[in-house]
Amino acid sequence: MRPILLQGHERSLTQIKYNRDGDLIFSTAKDQIVSVWYSANGERLGTYSGHQGALWTVDVNPTTTLLATGAADNTIKIWDVQTGRCLKTWDFPTAVKRVEFSEDGTLLLAVTEMRMGYLGTVVVFPIVNDVNAPQADTPVLRITFEQSKGTVAAWSALNKHIVVGHEDGSVSLYDSKTGEQLANEQIHEPDMLITDIQMAPDRTYFVTASKDKSAKLVETSTLKVLKTYATDTPLNSAAITAKKDFVILGGGQEARDVTTTSAREGRFEARFFHKIFEDEIGRVRGHFGPLNTVACHPQGTGYASGGEDGYVRVHHFDQPYFDFMYEVEKMTRNQQIV
Amino acid sequence: MLRLPDGKPHQKKSRPHLSLLSPPSPRLSPPKRYSPRLRRISPIDTFSFRHSKSINYIAIMAPPPPAPASRQNWADDDEFDDATALPPQQITSNPDGTKTIVTWRWSETNPGKKIKTTRKIKTTIHKETVNPHVAARKQWAKFGAEKGHPAGPDLSTTSVGENILFRPSINWRAAAKEEDAPENKLKDQLKDKKVACRICKGDHFTARCPFKDTLPPLDDVAAGTPDDLGLGGASGAGDMGGSGGGTSYVPPHLRNKGKTGGGETMGGRDFGSRQERDELATLRVTNVSEFAEEGDLRDMFERFGRVTRVFLAKDRDTGRAKGFAFVSFADRSDAARACEKVDGMGFMHLILRVEFSKKPAQ
Repeated sequence: MRPILLQGHERSLTQIKYNRDGDLIFSTAKDQIVSVWYSANGERLGTYSGHQGALWTVDVNPTTTLLATGAADNTIKIWDVQTGRCLKTWDFPTAVKRVEFSEDGTLLLAVTEMRMGYLGTVVVFPIVNDVNAPQADTPVLRITFEQSKGTVAAWSALNKHIVVGHEDGSVSLYDSKTGEQLANEQIHEPDMLITDIQMAPDRTYFVTASKDKSAKLVETSTLKVLKTYATDTPLNSAAITAKKDFVILGGGQEARDVTTTSAREGRFEARFFHKIFEDEIGRVRGHFGPLNTVACHPQGTGYASGGEDGYVRVHHFDQPYFDFMYEVEKMTRNQQIV
Repeated sequence: MLRLPDGKPHQKKSRPHLSLLSPPSPRLSPPKRYSPRLRRISPIDTFSFRHSKSINYIAIMAPPPPAPASRQNWADDDEFDDATALPPQQITSNPDGTKTIVTWRWSETNPGKKIKTTRKIKTTIHKETVNPHVAARKQWAKFGAEKGHPAGPDLSTTSVGENILFRPSINWRAAAKEEDAPENKLKDQLKDKKVACRICKGDHFTARCPFKDTLPPLDDVAAGTPDDLGLGGASGAGDMGGSGGGTSYVPPHLRNKGKTGGGETMGGRDFGSRQERDELATLRVTNVSEFAEEGDLRDMFERFGRVTRVFLAKDRDTGRAKGFAFVSFADRSDAARACEKVDGMGFMHLILRVEFSKKPAQ
């Protein structure tokens, strides 16, 4: 496969998101610009400018009409996807590290940083899916982390729960109506930051990436660890592929240590693990900095990775990727056919 | 298919035929004396010879394209004959759904020569069902930093990386290693290379062969003593041949000492015999200028007799002479004379020193 290199950003990438149909890719970097690209050919459709600080996070609603971004300038902005017009700005006392639309696009959650005497919070805003309608000014829910701040968060199925990954390596489950904490599990090594949470397509389980060099597949309702994928490098991102039972892990040496080692030793590769057998089945190299974010095409035909090197690499899988099967899988398939 | 009387396809003439059947414009209408005739013609008669005449006539009347008036038979009026015009493009629909397009153009390299291009085109309609939202988004106008840019990827922001072979497999690690290290591959090849003794073809170095003192090498036995065609590097390469002979280095001139003939290796023994023969009439010339050439030395020594070999030691890197040379004569008496005369002679600002490379007394 020949990856498409997107060079629209001048600084390291922070997050990449495909829209639900998989035809657009939204990317944010620390250079204050959001870019949107056609995933098929890497053509840049446009940019959303208006933020005053590094962008940390981006998400697009299910109908690809509204875009939410969170930045280090302590704001969340809602954009009109088609025109690049800023529709709404919410101000916060601290930086916004993660935004995510709910499955139906009616709610938006945001994780704010703990800093300057403010505790980390998760806020939930109601969203009107109309580019001309006014958006609410105040959140409907605010969860404040007294113990360890949240770094990443995601919606469960039917907007029932909010899963939050914490700085101390634990994952907690909150009721999205009341904000009550239902469970908290130390699934990663203590004091190892959880860097990413990405939901499976049906949101019944999710994958976490952590600085403790492992990624875990966790059941949403019970926070039970289903699978563990161990690597040899701190992980920044993990994604579950559609169509094939794989997970893609992205990571690499810490950015500050990169200059002390060669690119070969830096392990700046996307690692593919089999979701069920937990085996590493391949790597895709190409970045010359740690991978900060990986995202899978919703139809499972490709994936995109964004690195500390400022590049987005969009990959469209070749046939061998789809053909790969374990012997067991082949046997079951043959039995089904017979 | 409708065919003309002479069997030519109909299409070529269809254009004038249609113009005839269309209501005649005042300009194109023929002179009155022909009009009764024209009225009589039914479409079925179109291909009769008589009718073709009238077509020709109309063509003359119509300003474009002018055709020679002398031609009476329009069937002979082949556009291919006109050297100044290119035949028009022909499109034929084939029964298998393809189209054959024949076009003509002037040759660029050979002026005045027509080139016929026949293309067979098959049109395949590939239908793709696309999500209407995705299709709509493809039509969106660019905005932000991309505003006003034309459609299609911009090379400043989008490029295609080098091809990556990605084949998921359980033992990908082993596969990746193989790809990784071509230099290791070479090492592995060398590792697998068999060691074969030149004496007994055993699985050890020749030097370690238990029969090295009692048997000659197999190659030597088979080939006999090879011809000693004047090797330039005989003196320099002496140690090479003897490397298999013993465990420690023995200078070439000592190699035959205390040995029975059969115990020596091929190179060493052969070398020894040839050297012996050569050295009797070989002079060692020292203090040679580093700019000297073998030819100069040969010229100098040929005055004294037939020179069989001149070897001038040269530096491998710079190509300059190292300062000594060997000159072999066919006859030893010539060599003696040359030794006597040239020794002490000036050559390129240096005084040559010449002596027998091997003392005649031994």
